[in-house]
Amino acid sequence: MSDLNIAVIIKLEPDFSEGNVSYNPDGTLNRAETKNTLGPHSAIAAHAAFYAKVMYDAKISVGTMGPPIADSALQMAQGICDADELHLYSDRIFAGADTLATAEVLKTGIEKMQGKIDIVFSGHRASDGETGQTGPQTGWKLGFTFLGNVIDYKVNLQERTIRAKRMVSLQGFNDVVEEIEAPLPVFISIDPAYKANFNTISQRLSFEKYKKEAKIRSDNYKHYLKVFNAQQLGVDLKFVGLPGSPTIVYKVERIPKGKATRQAEILDGSNPEDIRKAVAKMKEALSAMVIK
Amino acid sequence: MSGNNYQHLYVIMEVQDDKLVPVSLEMLGEARKLMDSFNKKYQSNEKVVAILLGHNIKEVCNTLIEYGADVVVYADSPELKDYRNNIYTKIISRIAQDEKIASHVSPSSKFKKPRYMFFAADNIGRHLSSTALVALDSGLASDINKLEISDITLTHQHKTDGKPIMYEKTLEMYRPDFSGFLWTTILCLDNKNPKIERDYHPQACSIIPGVFEPITQDKGRKGQIIEYVPTFDQNDLRVKVLSRQVIKSEVDFDSYKTVVSFGRGIKDAPEQNIKLVEQLAKMLNAEIGISLPISKKPFGVSENTSSKYMISDRVIGTSGRKISPMLYVAIGISGAMQHVVGMQDSRFVVAINPDENSPIKDECDVFIRGRMEDVIPKLVEAMKEQSLAVST
Repeated sequence: MSDLNIAVIIKLEPDFSEGNVSYNPDGTLNRAETKNTLGPHSAIAAHAAFYAKVMYDAKISVGTMGPPIADSALQMAQGICDADELHLYSDRIFAGADTLATAEVLKTGIEKMQGKIDIVFSGHRASDGETGQTGPQTGWKLGFTFLGNVIDYKVNLQERTIRAKRMVSLQGFNDVVEEIEAPLPVFISIDPAYKANFNTISQRLSFEKYKKEAKIRSDNYKHYLKVFNAQQLGVDLKFVGLPGSPTIVYKVERIPKGKATRQAEILDGSNPEDIRKAVAKMKEALSAMVIK
Repeated sequence: MSGNNYQHLYVIMEVQDDKLVPVSLEMLGEARKLMDSFNKKYQSNEKVVAILLGHNIKEVCNTLIEYGADVVVYADSPELKDYRNNIYTKIISRIAQDEKIASHVSPSSKFKKPRYMFFAADNIGRHLSSTALVALDSGLASDINKLEISDITLTHQHKTDGKPIMYEKTLEMYRPDFSGFLWTTILCLDNKNPKIERDYHPQACSIIPGVFEPITQDKGRKGQIIEYVPTFDQNDLRVKVLSRQVIKSEVDFDSYKTVVSFGRGIKDAPEQNIKLVEQLAKMLNAEIGISLPISKKPFGVSENTSSKYMISDRVIGTSGRKISPMLYVAIGISGAMQHVVGMQDSRFVVAINPDENSPIKDECDVFIRGRMEDVIPKLVEAMKEQSLAVST
């Protein structure tokens, strides 16, 4: 019987892989033509949750806020982490929410998950929005200790504590890895550098077992799926969607092309003479370095 | 509604190993400029208030005044030596709502919360701003690189119930999107619609390090230094930082005089093209960088190539590293602003690109028109002939 309840919050995002992503001629993302998928950082969060399944036999619930098609992201996440339960929070009222209003929905949803949640995982940031705010804001609303940029963790089930390693990279300083101990429950935003290690044979056997189960479950994901609208969640409508969003997007514009900072000499890459000239220029630039 | 309840610009400082993180002074510089023109425009006397948390940090307070703060509020305790999100969030949100402190900052005001608030968009500030703004129940824009304050008349279905309403002294927060081509302006606005009326202050953002300039240090500048004595919740103190280990990134731009970077221009044959980039980098004894889109692993390449090159450690630009090598070679990089910020201090820049209209043309000294597949082998050949090889 599991003694650890894990939640993962994920997001359906534009698929930036070649062949699926489409850019407008001006270099911006063509959202209509771009396919959607489970966000890569969400996938890492699901991997981190799966680690708890293998190591501690944890129960896993995955939640997302999004349109009905976001159930495909839940299915993909279940294929990674062998989730026991999938939550989709979907209501037209939620549309247009900023991070604060999204966090309100996710917090309410997590409180409705099976068991009392001990650890919530979220991705580092979404590939499209890229704010990285929703995770910590959900954590704060839950009243959980927040740990960011986590690259590794171990749970002590007896003491109900977690030991986590987190990356701290700051402008002008060497990166630091901090080891932190915290009592459960915690909210973890997982660093892109996270990688699970399964070292012993029994861990690997357990990994294989749950991996198979994950495949079977995600093939039948609808069986595990619960969909909630605003009323079923019981959220206060003042705190979700557009009414609950302090921020608005006022305008979107092309970043004006800055003044040319350099006057480039244009060379033709198919002309051997030009290529020689380019190399001579580079040589000259680098010779300054010898003199210095 | 807003009136005098909201005043001043609070800026959250960051200290690491007893030293200020540079972005702290950059934020103060921008805050100073904004509030100087604010006070002139609105004939007011609102302050730049620096908030500093840490241990043995008193020395730093004067520096903050010299770099533009009117007031420094500091909390000094061994428990604040290391950043712990819950503790920092609580103390910052308490300071931001502390009437006694506010009465020191500007007597006779009926202060409720700061008008504006700045955090750094880094590993600490990004999360701290998120949680602090939930604690303060207001909105946040992240990764900002341009700011303006203006009066905006707006008609919005929810905020204004569809009627035009003027929002005075609104902070316009400009955020470059991931492509680097679009600027999104984010506003944090009170709900003035009577059905959902709510105040949303402070208007807050996190600021990209390396974007703004500190002001020149003025040793003669005077300001107010206020100590805040923090209290701690016992349960929060159970979160412990057990150890800190400094690690050096495998990617080390600083010890190379040459950097060769590639972008989406590798797309026709990613694996082979990265090999070409490697060849050129080897000739030039260069470290290899990438543009931001590459870190999102848009192309199918071998696991080895992907984990070696398509990683955030190699990103040059606002969301990565800012470098200034002797020679910078940009291969298949269009030159979005967010990339340019990271490489514009290079001594000499060569770009290889088939499109003469791409913005990188205005940021380089030599523009070689052509596809990388065609140009690099010729370059490498010519380098051998002209004996251009850089040794370590």
